Amino acid sequence: MMHQPPVIPASSGRGPVADLSIVAAVELGGAVVLGVFLLADDPRIIVALLGLMGAGFALLQFRPAIEERIVAAFRAARRAAMILGAAVVLVYPFLMQGSSYALHLLIIAQLYSVLALALNFQLGSANIPNFATGASYGIGAYTSALLAINFGVSFWLTLPAAALVATFFGFALGFPSMRTRETYLALVTIAFAIVIHQLLNNFSWTGGPNGLVGVPAPVLFGHSFADPIELFGRRLPSQANFYYLSAALVALAIISARRLHDSRIGLAWNALRGDELAARCQGINVVWYKILAFAVDAFLAAFAGSVYASYVSYISPDNFTFLVSVTIMTMVIVGGMDNTLGVILGAFLLTMLPEKLRIFADYRLLFVSVIVILFLILRPQGLFPQRPRSYGGRE
Amino acid sequence: MTTPLLETRRLSIRFGGLVAVNGVDLRLAAGEVLIIIGPNGAGKSTLFNMISGIYRPSSGTVHLNGHDITGRPAHRIAAAGIARTFQSSRLFNDLTLVDNVVIGMHTRTRTGVIDALLRPRRARAELDAAAERAGALIRLVSADLYERRHALAGTLPQADRRRLEIARALASDPKVILLDEPSSGMDERDTDALIKDIHTVMAERPGLSFIIIEHDMRLVAALPERVMVIDYGEKIAEGHFSEVRLLPRVQEAYLGQKAAHA
Amino acid sequence: MDAQLAQYLMNWLVLGSIYTLVALGFSLLFGVLDVIHFSHGDVSIVAPFVVLATVQALISTVLPADSIAALVLACAVAIVAVGLVGVLLDWLVIRRFRNAPAMMALVATVALGTVVRELIRTFYPQGSNPKPFPRLIESSVTFGDLPVPLFSLFVIGVSVLMVAVLFMVMGHTRLGVRIRAVAEDRNIARLMAIRPDRIFAVTFFIASAVGAIGGIFFASYAGVVRFDFGVQLGLIGFSAAVIGGLGSMQGAILGSLLIAGIDTLVQATMADGASYRLVFSFLLVILVLVLKPSGILGKPIMVKV
Repeated sequence: MMHQPPVIPASSGRGPVADLSIVAAVELGGAVVLGVFLLADDPRIIVALLGLMGAGFALLQFRPAIEERIVAAFRAARRAAMILGAAVVLVYPFLMQGSSYALHLLIIAQLYSVLALALNFQLGSANIPNFATGASYGIGAYTSALLAINFGVSFWLTLPAAALVATFFGFALGFPSMRTRETYLALVTIAFAIVIHQLLNNFSWTGGPNGLVGVPAPVLFGHSFADPIELFGRRLPSQANFYYLSAALVALAIISARRLHDSRIGLAWNALRGDELAARCQGINVVWYKILAFAVDAFLAAFAGSVYASYVSYISPDNFTFLVSVTIMTMVIVGGMDNTLGVILGAFLLTMLPEKLRIFADYRLLFVSVIVILFLILRPQGLFPQRPRSYGGRE
Repeated sequence: MTTPLLETRRLSIRFGGLVAVNGVDLRLAAGEVLIIIGPNGAGKSTLFNMISGIYRPSSGTVHLNGHDITGRPAHRIAAAGIARTFQSSRLFNDLTLVDNVVIGMHTRTRTGVIDALLRPRRARAELDAAAERAGALIRLVSADLYERRHALAGTLPQADRRRLEIARALASDPKVILLDEPSSGMDERDTDALIKDIHTVMAERPGLSFIIIEHDMRLVAALPERVMVIDYGEKIAEGHFSEVRLLPRVQEAYLGQKAAHA
Repeated sequence: MDAQLAQYLMNWLVLGSIYTLVALGFSLLFGVLDVIHFSHGDVSIVAPFVVLATVQALISTVLPADSIAALVLACAVAIVAVGLVGVLLDWLVIRRFRNAPAMMALVATVALGTVVRELIRTFYPQGSNPKPFPRLIESSVTFGDLPVPLFSLFVIGVSVLMVAVLFMVMGHTRLGVRIRAVAEDRNIARLMAIRPDRIFAVTFFIASAVGAIGGIFFASYAGVVRFDFGVQLGLIGFSAAVIGGLGSMQGAILGSLLIAGIDTLVQATMADGASYRLVFSFLLVILVLVLKPSGILGKPIMVKV
């Protein structure tokens, strides 16, 4: 969810009450801003909200103490923040006034969050360029769809199968990283992404440029994800199923990201990001950790791909081009490398912005690209830059 | 003499037509300190790079505890017990001091991907314990540095960067530490303080062996150990500093040149 | 010689020449000056649009409809204009990433490429649609009994000429020395009274203008141009420069000929070769980089400690 504070917490004092109110204000405020943004049709409201967000970030830029305070509050009231956050995520579809469009945007934003978090293992933690996350996403989607369509395999089985296949490709793609670096490695991943896209486009068993149609929706305990949810006398559009599924996936991605970040693995990645040679001399098997980063990226991206395929039920090669990878990369950089929350925020912003800017009709891609460039010039460290690790109980 | 801890035999490397190091024999016992001196470009750092696995020697061997480690990848050599610092101090600048030292413990920690994902408590506990130890190591090297252990390494002044690098090298519980010109780029006062800190570390870890490349004569004189002189990639003398410095060939190669520069 | 074979050979050389013109820009900018400019392909493909617009403007005002002069003039205008576009983009955006991490520059210039494409798409009349582009020269000559289009000879000739000029400039002129000085060390260059900014501008102009020629040839060869052709052209040009060995102009030529060769070979030998040409071209890119990470003619990367 977007943890963008719309109001400055009045209390900046210490203590559990202050912490709790800051956490609540940030989470609920973020949810409200997001909700209004999602449901707004009036261009003026959308522009006003964007202005508000811009002002919020400007405030954080010029008053870093506010960000510090918020981070401290979240650390202190961690459990409460998680419970409240989970509650907000669970209740959210009920507040969307039955709008399937709003839910659709949330699903796509969440899937991109997973993709961006996947890429963040490489780009953010280890500074390995990878322009093939979109390809892994596609491999996951196609594997899942082909198994479901041709062999009637249940979605819940295609999910791990797709992840395994994509991870295998991830390992394969990781091998050239033994010898190539930086821009050269970037080119290898671009070439890989193009090869995968072209193959999907040309094989007859992948449906060629027309792709695959009729990917079945998952069924859980007899409930098909294509059916609406009836709960507490309320009726949620069928998108709500996929909303919860993708939210669970985001949770999985966040947990994986946190756990790997706060372990020896995350440190090893950070080490090779900083200085590969020095990392080797600390006993870090640089090649293995690079390949590992490719594999983890592919694994998570394939999950997102499987969910996407069963959600839209129709996939084609053009959903998984090189430019999709660039978009994912932009989300990571705009959000803030190696900062989980920042990356998710980047994914939400860059998914919703073009959609909500439909008022600019033809100009929106132009507009988004210009914003990205300006952003990279003005705030290269991203919305929320990387934060130092914390150890033990202390902050 | 028993098997030396670290031994190189006829170690050589060529870059294209240039012979950078030529047939260097080196023996180091456990707990011993060896100083390597020689003029700029004599091949001292190249020797370190071969021992620590960054360069693959063209010929000759490196043995650690009697095991042949010649040409092994750098991370394996680090795991075998050889730690090093760099002349240009290569720290992980965007990480904290503690992070830097914990990374130095990479070969002494065990968590794999599966552990990290499925047994987060254990992974966390291992990392927290490592951070504890890292703090202690930083304090061993310098109490002032310990106060700043949560700062980013990139913010440290030169002398502290060297200290942190030494702490990071100690973190892997090595058998040998290679220090590449610890005093380079530092003024006299900083050098004196650093010598003191190195002495402290040596006193704390009597079993640990050191090889130190040094340019600063005061530092060399202050560490009353065996000295090896390298010039044009070859060992030209070895012995105690007070004797070695009197050899005409050494004076010509190193001290003479130094005098000419002064 | 077999007529079919001759035709394939000709296609190979023409395609190789076009790729070379684009790859040379990457080689100059990235290889020599270490500037990452992923929008170079998109900039190059601006040229055919400028040609079309200029021809339109000329024949509706001063020149008769079938005037060859209009086309020649328009090409000249396009080459200069695109050269200036390159300088402008550097000045507006790219120079701000000179000291940034490579990934930033990469993403920024990819976004810049999108900006260029979108500008064409939205502001050129019906910019989303493919535009027919004329063959620069229609007639052909015959060698023995083999007809050879003059256009092909023209493309190859111009490319060879451009390569020769660039070799001259880089190797034997003050400008070349200055560019290499800036590439070597900007601060030392400054001490020698070389203004790096000016050198960057000149290099961007040359690279973009040469790319523009490539863009015009590409459109003319395909007979059609669309706003997004630059993505593929840029990727191929960049790949050619990298697998040949960055910083080496011979490498850019070699890489271009290799990729064009695979492209032509696949189309000539496989039943549905046209659809698999990119697969094989980029598999080649991966293969070369795995076997020779610094490109075929590139110097091996040495670890500095």
